[in-house]
Amino acid sequence: MPIEVLLVEDSPGDVRLTQEAFRNANRTIHLHVASDGVEAMAFLRREGVHSQAPRPELILLDLNLPKMDGREVLALIKKDPSLKTIPTVILTTSEAEADIVKSYQLQANCYLSKPVQLDAFENLVKSINDFWLTKVKFPQQRQNG
Amino acid sequence: MQTKFQWSRKPQLAFGSAVLALLVVGAVSYCSMVESSESDLRVRRTYEVLEKLQGLLAAMQAVESNARGYLLAGDESFLEAYRAGRATTEKDQAIVRSLTADSPGQQQRLDALATLAARQFQLAEKVVGLRRTNGLQATSAAIQEASSTQNMDDFQSMVGRMQNEELRWLALRKEEAKRRLTQTKTVLILGTFLGLLITTVAGWRVQRDNSENRDSGAKYRGLLEAAPDAMVVVDQGGKIVLLNVQAEKQFGYGRDELLGLKVKNIIPDGFAERLIADGTRTAAEALAQQIGTGIELIARRKNGSEFPIEIMLSPLESAEGTLVTAAIRDISVRRAAEKHLGQMEGRYRGLLEAAPDAMVVVNQSGEIVLLNVQAEKQFGYSRDELLGQKVKNIIPEGFAERLIADALRSVEDALAQQIGTGIELVGQRKNGSEFPIEIMLSPLESAEGILVTAAVRDITTRKKAEADLLNKVEELNRSNEELGQFAYIASHDLQEPLRMVASYTQLLSRRYKGKLDSDADKFIAFAVDGASRMQRLIQDLLAYSRVGTKGTDLIEISSEAALEQALLNLRGAILEKGALVTHDSLPPVLADEMQLIQLFQNLVGNAIKYQSSAIPKVHISAAKNGVKKWTFSVKDNGLGIDSQYFEKIFGMFQRLHKRQEFAGTGIGLAICKKIVERHGGRISVKSQPGHGSTFCFALAESERE
Repeated sequence: MPIEVLLVEDSPGDVRLTQEAFRNANRTIHLHVASDGVEAMAFLRREGVHSQAPRPELILLDLNLPKMDGREVLALIKKDPSLKTIPTVILTTSEAEADIVKSYQLQANCYLSKPVQLDAFENLVKSINDFWLTKVKFPQQRQNG
Repeated sequence: MQTKFQWSRKPQLAFGSAVLALLVVGAVSYCSMVESSESDLRVRRTYEVLEKLQGLLAAMQAVESNARGYLLAGDESFLEAYRAGRATTEKDQAIVRSLTADSPGQQQRLDALATLAARQFQLAEKVVGLRRTNGLQATSAAIQEASSTQNMDDFQSMVGRMQNEELRWLALRKEEAKRRLTQTKTVLILGTFLGLLITTVAGWRVQRDNSENRDSGAKYRGLLEAAPDAMVVVDQGGKIVLLNVQAEKQFGYGRDELLGLKVKNIIPDGFAERLIADGTRTAAEALAQQIGTGIELIARRKNGSEFPIEIMLSPLESAEGTLVTAAIRDISVRRAAEKHLGQMEGRYRGLLEAAPDAMVVVNQSGEIVLLNVQAEKQFGYSRDELLGQKVKNIIPEGFAERLIADALRSVEDALAQQIGTGIELVGQRKNGSEFPIEIMLSPLESAEGILVTAAVRDITTRKKAEADLLNKVEELNRSNEELGQFAYIASHDLQEPLRMVASYTQLLSRRYKGKLDSDADKFIAFAVDGASRMQRLIQDLLAYSRVGTKGTDLIEISSEAALEQALLNLRGAILEKGALVTHDSLPPVLADEMQLIQLFQNLVGNAIKYQSSAIPKVHISAAKNGVKKWTFSVKDNGLGIDSQYFEKIFGMFQRLHKRQEFAGTGIGLAICKKIVERHGGRISVKSQPGHGSTFCFALAESERE
């Protein structure tokens, strides 16, 4: 069974890096990508082109996105009863205290800073896989009405 | 002075009065006695008169009875008796007349009496004649007539009246005598008493005066001896009559040598002339002119040497007349001081003129009493224009108020508060323009009280420099902040694209190593290396800029705890190299915790890194330095540093080794330096190549101590 993960990231470079890193970590991960907040919400709500989209087990969310930025998306996710149970991990280059505080206030499940070095980044992705996608338990029921 | 004179006459007056009283008493007694004796005489006479009058009456009665007897008996013896009786009465009358010659009343009565007597005799003669001739029967009618007692009654009553008169007179006299006696007695008693009283009082007074004089004399002598100045008492002839031991000492004479000596011998000029009465004024007047004023003269010692003196005179009453007491004070010291003062003043004036700053001396009313040429120049006035002016005219505010005594404090207090501090005020030139000044005050004692010397410095240029400096500093601060922000933003924004480059070149290297040609491998390798280095540089730059921008306030923290944390962060490197890191007990300090950890981390990290093959040994200690500082030392047994690089190593991105030898961007020590400087300290190194290095820096002691 593929593990469905939604990555919300606008920088293609970062997207590819993340994909490569996840491929190295765990081949069973199915990484979906939304490049802005609007697309992210559409995917999660299975709207429009995303009507057949699967429900992700994990959302990796960048903060600085065009159109609707990550903070808004986070807020929407956590307000939505059907979406709020999905673990949402902030993955961003920012280390700003304000961003960290805001994210947790909006009930992000955790906050991760992208390391600048490639190997460090790859290790981080490995850690995400180890923790969130291996050790962490999810409810059996994947689909909800 | 008047009273004194009176008191000295009192004994004489008293005695005079006593004597006078006695005299008066005597006189009065004498008069009284004379009067009494006279009175006695008169009284005696009166008694005589009375007696005589009685006698007369009796005689008259006898005459009458004798006449009757003759008439009846015809006996001649009766007639003779009658005749004798008549002669007696006449004689008595004459006596009485003479005795009462001074009383016209009595004389008149006597006349009446005489008339009555004459009639009686007439009658009697008539009757006698008749009897003789006619016998008894013939005369019975006449006898009847003769026996009429009317005449006799009249005579008797007249005598009675005369007697009464005399008695009355007598009573009067008795009264008088009694009164006189009482008077005399009174006068005698009073007079004697008065005399005694006056004598007693006078005597007592005199005695008291004498004893007072003796007492005050003694007291005076005591005072004289004890006086700190030389005291000399001079009489009207200019001779010294009294002196004290100070006088002996000052003039170098013995007491006996001075007593009786003319005062001219010790005070050649100015004393004697002032005091001795001359033709134009009395001694008293001369003295009065000199009392209370201190007169400066020259005195001469026994050995001939002279010295300046000041004398103060006062009069002294004595039995010998008015003496003059002179207090003589040796003022040679004072003169010298005055001269010295004069010299000092002269020098002071000289100093004032020569001073580079404007100098102004102000009196207690705020007026300028002295100034120098610099003051003239600075304020644009001429000397005369400033002298006497109120200092407010050149320094409108801040000067006068600080100095002039007000109700709250004396001039001394006001001044004491201002001495030594430079006060910045505003000065005003003659043309009205103002300029900033700094004044420094100091007190100046003078005869007119405490003056204030103010050094006035034109600080226009200084103020401008200060303002410029402030501006520059502000600019600099702004610039630094901008720079800091810039560095941060730049580094931060540079990170992103750099991350792409570095990550993908690495991916390229990973995926295509050996799959392209060797050049491609090399090229990729260089690109990867370049990107990594750039990443590290930017990270370091960020770290460096964060020291300033992300620094927190300095608080009290445990430096030991910070070191422990740094060692924790370095545990990998420590284990790898097998390093031995030790430390003394470290004190609490005022610091930014994160930065202190970073500081220790960098220094200890360097100590472990820059080693040859020896086991790295690092020791951290702290020593008290001065009052509120701790100097930390990080000592290692590493490679050591050549002294020419001691400054360079703290520069940004400065390295002493090739990249191949030791990794690192060269920012570590620059960060350390920035951290230490942010904490108000300095970092330095002591080292010798091959003998390890010791890095030292100081941190402030925690305030709680």
